[in-house]
Amino acid sequence: MNANPPLLSIRQLSKQFGSTKVLNDICLDVAEGEVVSVIGASGSGKTTLLRCVNLLEDFDTGEIVLDGESIGYRAENGRRTRLAERELARQRAMTGMVFQSFNLFPHLSALGNVMLGLTKVRRMAKTDARDLALSWLERVGLADRAGHYPSQLSGGQQQRVAIARALAMDPKLVLLDEITSALDPELVQEVLQTISRLADDGITLLIVTHEMRFAQKVSSRVVFMDRGSIAEIGPAKRLFEKPSTARLKQFLRNAHV
Amino acid sequence: MESFLHELWIARYVLLSGLKITVFVSAVSILAGSLIGLVTGVALAYGPRPIAWLMRGYVDVVRGTPVLVLILASFYVLAIAGIHFTAIQSGIFALSIFCGAHMGEIVRGALQAIPKTQTEAARSIGLTFSKILAYVLLPQALRQILPVWINTGAELVKASTLLSVIGVGELLLSTQEIVGRNFQTLQFYTLAGVMYYCVNFAIESFGRQAERRLRG
Amino acid sequence: MDYYFRFGVVWANFDKLLQGLALGLALALVAIAAGTIIGIVCAFAAAGGNRATRVGVNAYVSIIRNTPILVIVLLVFFALPQLGVRLDKYQSFIASLAVYAGAYLTEVFRAGLSGVPRGVIDAGRAIGMTGVQVSTYVVFPIMLRNSLPAMGTTFISLFKDTSIATAIAVPELTFQARKINVETFRVVEVWLVASGLYVATCLVIAAGLRQVERRYSRL
Repeated sequence: MNANPPLLSIRQLSKQFGSTKVLNDICLDVAEGEVVSVIGASGSGKTTLLRCVNLLEDFDTGEIVLDGESIGYRAENGRRTRLAERELARQRAMTGMVFQSFNLFPHLSALGNVMLGLTKVRRMAKTDARDLALSWLERVGLADRAGHYPSQLSGGQQQRVAIARALAMDPKLVLLDEITSALDPELVQEVLQTISRLADDGITLLIVTHEMRFAQKVSSRVVFMDRGSIAEIGPAKRLFEKPSTARLKQFLRNAHV
Repeated sequence: MESFLHELWIARYVLLSGLKITVFVSAVSILAGSLIGLVTGVALAYGPRPIAWLMRGYVDVVRGTPVLVLILASFYVLAIAGIHFTAIQSGIFALSIFCGAHMGEIVRGALQAIPKTQTEAARSIGLTFSKILAYVLLPQALRQILPVWINTGAELVKASTLLSVIGVGELLLSTQEIVGRNFQTLQFYTLAGVMYYCVNFAIESFGRQAERRLRG
Repeated sequence: MDYYFRFGVVWANFDKLLQGLALGLALALVAIAAGTIIGIVCAFAAAGGNRATRVGVNAYVSIIRNTPILVIVLLVFFALPQLGVRLDKYQSFIASLAVYAGAYLTEVFRAGLSGVPRGVIDAGRAIGMTGVQVSTYVVFPIMLRNSLPAMGTTFISLFKDTSIATAIAVPELTFQARKINVETFRVVEVWLVASGLYVATCLVIAAGLRQVERRYSRL
């Protein structure tokens, strides 16, 4: 195992929505270059966990440490305050996120989508941004569609552009939120292959997915979440072949694995 | 403020008379205009080609012309054509034509939005077209456009102010007469604005209620 | 009907009618430009969290939309001097029409704003853009594209509303037509021509707008 400190460290993260505890004391470490999959039933808190990591949601207690920096909150004299928008935005740029419904900017071409973060957030010059964006589009196999608009792309192509958009920001960690759930079955493979290649290239990934076979193939560890808590966690092979908790056994049975 | 209330008291009959004429003109115009609109809408949706084209021409020309131009044109041209309307009659004529074109488009749209399956079902139980129109299509279409119809009523109330230009003694002209006498321009124009706002707000609320009753 | 059509008289004055038409278009353009700024500001203000601004914007929209435009024009021109604000007839009409346009355009932009998909805002934040950046580079362009059709129909409406300027003697098309009517009594001809000019202009504008929409409807 890696002797260096983990890239991402989630410590006792909790979040409450009214009277429901959506996230309950979550503890998780992700090492650099690791691929961790999060599985579980709908409502188990997987997406909320991801959205807390990239600060799209706030959380009530606990800490998230990314590459040594505690993100989202500032602790002063024992009181915890949410950071200002500008600080949050800077920290958000350190993580990349790919969404279930792609969320491409409809008014920009594929190239424009990838370039926007480069010019406005990383403040690159337009020509440099264009070159970098094109190279990322090439890496996901869509260089020839650079000028196309989202409405002119298939679901799988849109999702690959979304992946390029996230990666172009050079994030330390990429969060994938059920990125194939909204795709037609025949388009799922091209996206999964793209993710496999990224995993091979050593990019740190935290993946929420329903694709069990894919999770088993590409992840080093798997986290099973149930009703806001981590019910089981361990190496992918062991979790899928020899699940220890009853809930996980039932879940895998229902998922026909 | 006191002098305003004093003047308001003096002018109360003039204002009331103006308000009455406004309501009268708007009401007659929307009724006449709705009838015209109904016929126009049906003709546009189902009429034979030449009639539909004629109606299309009517609707496009009237909708492309400002209401004030329609009013002025009616006022002058009708007289030449031998139709000796008074100012208020020309005004109602113009507003009815305007409303008719407006409603015609709306009725046409509502009729064409009804799925063809409705007509097929009606035909298969043996109804003739005129009965289908009367008992199946129009009831649905008219129920759909009820809120828009009420909104058109509010538009006509606003358009009735333009009749002041041809000398019809509705609320705005009455206001101008009063102001001409006592020079309390700001107060009485504001009062007129408030009165129109109240009338239209009442119409709008009625419309929202009608819409709610429709949804439920 | 004893009426001889003499279009000659109207053609002789055609240039004045065209000048009136041009003036009407110019007034409408200025009004929609000013109204667009007002509308965008109000739409964004109303969407923000502040309750007071939302109530204020709703009040503005409700008052203007329920008041006849002629009353607004006369109020601004005749009554404002009582408050010390003295505008000439052009400034006064433009101000009235701009305020009027602003109310309608606020509603147009509010609808356009609500048509921006929620996820796209998340995506903008996820790549590290601040709220202001997301509003500027993502929400605003999408809102504008959503609003284009309604902006177009509003512009055509505003152009027809410029005829109201006649009431305060601004020499746009309706004013010129009325003048020719009164001076020459060529009643049918002049109103036919005036109406024809309005209808033709509206058709041309509508066709132009359809072209613009086609270019931008990639969304």
